[in-house]
Amino acid sequence: MLVIGMLRKAQSGAALLGIVGLAILISPTAADGSRIFLQVGNLTDILRQVSLIGIISLAMTFVILTGGIDLSVGSILALSTAVAAMGLTRAWQNAPYARHILLAIALAVAASALAGALNGAIVATTRIQPFIVTLASMIGVRGLAKWLTDNQNIDIGFGRDVAAEFAAVFREKAIAIGAYAVCAALFWAVLARTVFGRYVRAIGDNEKAAEYAGLPIGRTKIWVYTLSGLLSGVAGVLYAAENHQGNPNAGVAYELDAIAGVVIGGARLSGGRGSISGTIVGTLIMGILTNMLRLNNVDSNVEMMIKAVIIVLAVAVQRNSD
Amino acid sequence: MAELLQVRNVNKHYGGVCALKNAHFALRTGEVHALIGENGAGKTTLSRIVAGSALADTANIAMDGRPATIASPVDAQRLGIGIIYQELDLFPNLTVGENLVIGNLHFREGRLVSPRRIEAFCRPFLDRVGLACGAGEVVAALSIGQKQLVAIARALSMNARILLMDEPTSSLFDDAVERLFGLIGELKRAGVSVVYISHKMDEIFRICDRATVLRDGETIGTVEIAATNATHANQDIRTRMIRMMVGRDLQMVPPPERRDPGEVLLAVEHLTTDKLRGVSFELRRGEVLGVAGLVGAGRSELGAALFGMDRIRSGAVRAHGSIGLVPEDRRLQGLMMRMSVLENCTIAVLPRMQRLGFIRHQQERRELEPLARRLGLDCDSTARPVNQLSGGNQQKALLARWLLRDPDVLFLDDPTRGIDVGAKQDIYGIVDELAAAGKGVILVSSELPELLRCCHRIMVLSEGRLTAIFDAKEATQENIMAAATTRDRRASPEARF
Repeated sequence: MLVIGMLRKAQSGAALLGIVGLAILISPTAADGSRIFLQVGNLTDILRQVSLIGIISLAMTFVILTGGIDLSVGSILALSTAVAAMGLTRAWQNAPYARHILLAIALAVAASALAGALNGAIVATTRIQPFIVTLASMIGVRGLAKWLTDNQNIDIGFGRDVAAEFAAVFREKAIAIGAYAVCAALFWAVLARTVFGRYVRAIGDNEKAAEYAGLPIGRTKIWVYTLSGLLSGVAGVLYAAENHQGNPNAGVAYELDAIAGVVIGGARLSGGRGSISGTIVGTLIMGILTNMLRLNNVDSNVEMMIKAVIIVLAVAVQRNSD
Repeated sequence: MAELLQVRNVNKHYGGVCALKNAHFALRTGEVHALIGENGAGKTTLSRIVAGSALADTANIAMDGRPATIASPVDAQRLGIGIIYQELDLFPNLTVGENLVIGNLHFREGRLVSPRRIEAFCRPFLDRVGLACGAGEVVAALSIGQKQLVAIARALSMNARILLMDEPTSSLFDDAVERLFGLIGELKRAGVSVVYISHKMDEIFRICDRATVLRDGETIGTVEIAATNATHANQDIRTRMIRMMVGRDLQMVPPPERRDPGEVLLAVEHLTTDKLRGVSFELRRGEVLGVAGLVGAGRSELGAALFGMDRIRSGAVRAHGSIGLVPEDRRLQGLMMRMSVLENCTIAVLPRMQRLGFIRHQQERRELEPLARRLGLDCDSTARPVNQLSGGNQQKALLARWLLRDPDVLFLDDPTRGIDVGAKQDIYGIVDELAAAGKGVILVSSELPELLRCCHRIMVLSEGRLTAIFDAKEATQENIMAAATTRDRRASPEARF
């Protein structure tokens, strides 16, 4: 169902197919003559590499649909890695491994959701522009993460302890990709099928009309930013496992990658237009592009320039079809 | 007289809505020419096309007999066409002088702005329109009437030979109206042609030479007015023009029979907000209460206050039941234009169509279907985006949203604005049905015949005060207009908004 919806709705589906085709075409070949791009290991690498940004961009889609923006996701991710690492190394020393790990993850995700809820509460009650509110929390939450960790990375998983167990499990490709898939399915269902999802689209389409229709605008916005914080927290947990550390400097500029994925997927920054399927396609386009260029040994600075062109092109094409 | 401007074969669509269909008119040198028609007839769109601020799908425009292309306001300025918009498109935080010279092809300045040069450039035009203030005054500090004079001076300073005025008196008071008419007379004598857009018959008969009637985006015909001073001839033309405007003889449908007044649904006592002053009335079950008043009288603000969107400063609103509000501007305040008809209709009742947060799509369709039939909501599929519908069907979709909600009191703010005659009749029918079903309806309208057709009682607002409440039997267009123009001499008009 999700896949069908994706193909039908995503205006950028054709672009995705084009990029995949190009990647196959120019892919270097392995010793046995097969194309490296198409190897299962490479394809799952792509999915794993986009999974963190992908998870963040799902909730970012909701935020952008309401006409808002969330610049604080990278900082919240850093907070989450720090809190998770602290929970694993400094608390609950006598708890069994499974419960200890769950508590640490829950604490990290809850702290992240709380930071998002604060964003949402300020946006909903003060009517300060979301850009400014989340710009402030991008700075403030980064400060909080650094203050909590005393500017230090907290290494995890280099011994034979609970942290090592955590890292061993959660750095698995299947876990990262699975988490992305589950979150995508949930967020797609929420947007397409629930009252909350309908409100999100309605508010972004015409907030004045939503007010006249008596919709719960404030409550909806608080939830949207809370979800954004929550998913940044989930991404932070995965980041900590993958990199074996709680890192208060993690996730810098992640907000921009997430926003890029959303807009390539066809969303308008002024709200009311965008979809989960489009965002997934947008995220995949960026991921495949990175992979394709790296397989062909393209300089990473050139890669950034090419990405810039792709972003503008993708959005320009959608303007015309609007 | 030579024809200065010829406008022919103008077509214009907004999305799926046809705004103009083969509209045309011709303007002579030094005449005051009215464009007249009901709301939504296409007067404003036509004038915007001539002024270059809207692009037609097709248009043949000739100036002095030579074909002209008007693709932007600058093109219009070069041809000597100026426009005074209804909402006066001035920069409120700039000075009078800056407003006159900005974008003005006839004002050449060096790299630096010199207040002295601006003053020297503006003085003759400000004198000509009779504006006493200096060019250095900030526009926001002026009254509405003065702002309008600034807009006219701006057009004149651009060397306009043709002046388009869109509903220039809609927000003016009597003395300012007189001053404006005097100025129009002077301009006419100086050879300036004026296109005067209005739906007010009296004004048109006072100052216009000819009138072109538009209906549903089409030109119905042009009528000579000037020569007729005799009252009976005048009356003939008037009747003829009204018939041209509405496409039928105005038949006075008797006001609906008033059944026994039911219990009080809504009691409003001394309601005062930023825009309303001490308004008191009652609405009973089964009653349709009309609200008349000029633009800015506080009609929409009454709805905003009842619906809890404006802060109530003093007074009380006692509602025995729920209140629904169908706002005035369906594009800005009503509909989510990118969402489907179905989604727009059910958005306010979703909580009752869900299970565990998930929308029950079948129930959505099942509930909307009979209502859509009853409203005559005409669209092949309710899954279509609402912006592809005509104005009348958009209005019905908005109405459907509130009928699904089924409130006890429904506040309809100008629900027939800019929609076609058939859709209007459908909406009148719904209002009758609602009253018969024991609801209370408050109906705001700019069209008095509409109020007389639908309402049991009509209340009149002027400058935020309630100046009269008429029973249907005693209400006439004349006494309603008189009450609508009653004003409080103590309050200066400038202080209002």
